[in-house]
Amino acid sequence: MTTAVTNFFSKLVNPVWLTGPIFGKELRVSSRRRRNYVLRFAYLIFLTVFVVMVWLSMVKLEDQGSIAYRTSRMSVAGEAIIGTIILFQFLATQMIAIIMLSTSISDEIYHRTLGVLMTTPVNSFQIVMGKLLSKLLQLVLLLAISLPMLAVVRIFGGVPWNYVISSLCITLTAVIFAGSLSLYYSIGNRRAYVVILKTVFTLGFLYLFIPAMGQVLLHKVVSQRVLIPVLTLPNPFMALQFNTMMRVGARMAGIVSFFSWPLHCAVMLGASALILGVSVKVVRKVALRQAVGQLELGPKRKQRKKEKEQSAARTTEPEESAGPIRRVTGSPVLWKEIRAPIIEGAGGRNSIIGLVVSIIALLITYLACIKQNCLQQDYAHVSYVSLFLLIGSIVNIALSATSITTEKEARSWPILLATSIDDWQILLGKAGGVFRRCLPVWVFLAGHVVLFVSVGYIHPIAIVHLTMVVAWIIVFLCGSGLYFSARLRRTTSAVVANFALAVVLWLVVPVLFRLVSQIIHNDRALEVCISTNPFVQAAVIMQGAGGRHNAHTSLTDLRYYWLLEHRQVGRTTLILLINMVGYIFLGLFLAWRAKCRFRRNIF
Amino acid sequence: MIETKSLTKYYGNLAAVVDLDLTIGPGDIFGFIGPNGAGKTTTMRILATLLEPTRGTASIDGLDVTKNGKQVRRVVGYMPDFMGVYDDLKVFEYLEFFAAAFGIERKKRESIVDGVLELTDLRSKRSANVDSLSRGMQQRLGVARVLIHDPKVLILDEPASGLDPRARIEIRELLRELKRMGKTIMISSHILSELEEICDHVGIIEHGRLVFSGTMEEIRPRLGLQNRVNVKVLNNQDKAVELLSAVPQIRQVQKVGDCIAVTFHDGQSGDGIIARTLVNGGIDIISLQPERLKLDDAFLQLTKGIVH
Repeated sequence: MTTAVTNFFSKLVNPVWLTGPIFGKELRVSSRRRRNYVLRFAYLIFLTVFVVMVWLSMVKLEDQGSIAYRTSRMSVAGEAIIGTIILFQFLATQMIAIIMLSTSISDEIYHRTLGVLMTTPVNSFQIVMGKLLSKLLQLVLLLAISLPMLAVVRIFGGVPWNYVISSLCITLTAVIFAGSLSLYYSIGNRRAYVVILKTVFTLGFLYLFIPAMGQVLLHKVVSQRVLIPVLTLPNPFMALQFNTMMRVGARMAGIVSFFSWPLHCAVMLGASALILGVSVKVVRKVALRQAVGQLELGPKRKQRKKEKEQSAARTTEPEESAGPIRRVTGSPVLWKEIRAPIIEGAGGRNSIIGLVVSIIALLITYLACIKQNCLQQDYAHVSYVSLFLLIGSIVNIALSATSITTEKEARSWPILLATSIDDWQILLGKAGGVFRRCLPVWVFLAGHVVLFVSVGYIHPIAIVHLTMVVAWIIVFLCGSGLYFSARLRRTTSAVVANFALAVVLWLVVPVLFRLVSQIIHNDRALEVCISTNPFVQAAVIMQGAGGRHNAHTSLTDLRYYWLLEHRQVGRTTLILLINMVGYIFLGLFLAWRAKCRFRRNIF
Repeated sequence: MIETKSLTKYYGNLAAVVDLDLTIGPGDIFGFIGPNGAGKTTTMRILATLLEPTRGTASIDGLDVTKNGKQVRRVVGYMPDFMGVYDDLKVFEYLEFFAAAFGIERKKRESIVDGVLELTDLRSKRSANVDSLSRGMQQRLGVARVLIHDPKVLILDEPASGLDPRARIEIRELLRELKRMGKTIMISSHILSELEEICDHVGIIEHGRLVFSGTMEEIRPRLGLQNRVNVKVLNNQDKAVELLSAVPQIRQVQKVGDCIAVTFHDGQSGDGIIARTLVNGGIDIISLQPERLKLDDAFLQLTKGIVH
């Protein structure tokens, strides 16, 4: 009896029961992957750049004030740096968790090791926990990297320890939630970029859409005293903001007195446990299916459909059960690309349902804006257009980068290249396919602009300007995506490379330019750099031409604010035209390079 | 029809194919045999214009594969070792897609596709989804695809790998039919006995080098496989040995247990000679059993570098 009790407690204390051998295996594999070191290096570089930027913006290098003044500036800088580090960690570690866990289960499924694991004493709980905890350990290390810096800066800034600790706890629970979601999606999706996009969109839906809609639709029904705490509790973004407000001063602390970070963390952990519980159940089902030889992913409904098709194929007369045959017309590559569903993996009916749901969601936001009376303001249209542009760019980046690599992974690429079809035809077909599949998002943008031009809330010139921006975004991202897709073998690598290009061009380079401009005290180069950013361009266009007031202003009186000065419509058009020509040329150059690489790295 | 001269391909420092000289005549079925990693697939990929050789030349129907890629692709039908299929395409659509890719006019496509479906016995699967077909059917679909533009040359990289015995036989029958149609076929395998019945010529490759090339008749003595017959007699085994040893076509006679193993000289064979000799000598025969050629064993020896 005593031995049994001792054994039970020794098992309980030993963390092996939680993760089995998976935890150790994952750590060993991680330590051999170069990308993990690159990730840590990039994290440190970005962290340093942001801290330096904040430092430079707070403490001027040539400040020669008194010691007391300089000490006070140091204190302000210390506070700002801690805020920056915490915000940076909050965003970066969530993103890294999503990326790291995006292939956690799908890798096991496609290497056919999940079924093998089920033939050992390892259970699905240990698989899920082993995967999650091994990645979390690495993320905790990333958080720990900045602790000495936080400690030193805390001394300058006089920031209380409880703020640092509570912020770290909020970050950690948000990371666990985001990681759990990514792990869950990785069970049913093979490609990492699909998991990443699904997780980001889900988090965006949970953290942005639901609170915004809840606030707009329920604020007259439910008291703010009840509504705000309820909306805040499962939202780490709001939690971090409230936590910061409580630190700032007694007045702000009074406003958010209802907020309790331990409660928020408990809710997030509970939600994560729920997702992990579901994951454990699904992993077990998938692993057992694999163990008995069924290797497909996805829900049972999809499985049943496939099995039905296979049994129909085995019968002698499957023609009656099959759908209509579509004849090939025009370029065969374009025909095949156009024939593919708009949303990969979703059938025609599901695509239509998705579109209808999106339209309804958009109309709800319009109604909410009408209630708030903000559709007449330029900022509403800046937000809408930026959002459409962001979604359109993401879809364009992903689809263009997958166009060739998916064929390479399916091993149909050499077969296509062994035909007498011209490489240019393949390129144009692929580009046409990408454009067609991205079209719904751009139709949303066009619909929004045309609708509000017609009701007099946006100036008609915005149609011309936005068309220029969208045109170059499509050509440039399609060209770069095709290039990476032709150059790289793996879909995920191509998508990540294409995303990285966009992030470097439109985020990292402007940040570096800002850093330099603060040192040399010249913003001209920064302005030029920022004006090549499509989101800045869209914001400038909509600020200048959006809203009821601007819509009724004559063309010559429109003013566009380009960082340093207001510019008229002619100059703005010229800037957009130069950008458009430059990016389109670059996009076409990359597409041509893609064509040149078609017959290299085929296998 | 297919000719390579000093064909060489390096992947970095690794030599995949070294100074390969091959000649395959029109209408021949050429079996390209070698163990995994010998260089078969690399050679076939070069011939299909998907890889460029490091040095040397390769031509098909008089066209250089590196200089006239597009023209070569018109006369070649290439089936890779692993056939990728497009999801969500039906069998007819899949074949019509490739017919269009080869520039076949739209009005002719339907009859051509139906023709190859008939030939490959896939007519009943015309409307089935490609990814729902079994492995054997997918291989047949692969053959149908390479026939869609009526190429003179077929390059088939291990078309029977991973198939069950029935599907292997079906593929073999299909290849015989294609031979009757006058196609030049280059087919690879790492199993020599698999190609024995259908190939006119074979080439054996190891470590990127061609270690043997010739007809099936030429390969047996080269592999050290003489024709041997096991004889069982009712009585006078010693006399039987004596009689058979005197026959000029017979090289060696050995007693193995209750059997007599009779080995003929290269190119010689004939159960009839043995029977006639023994019956004329007054010996009763219980059985005459030609020994099955152990091609695969000999092939293993050859590709170990024992025979050169």
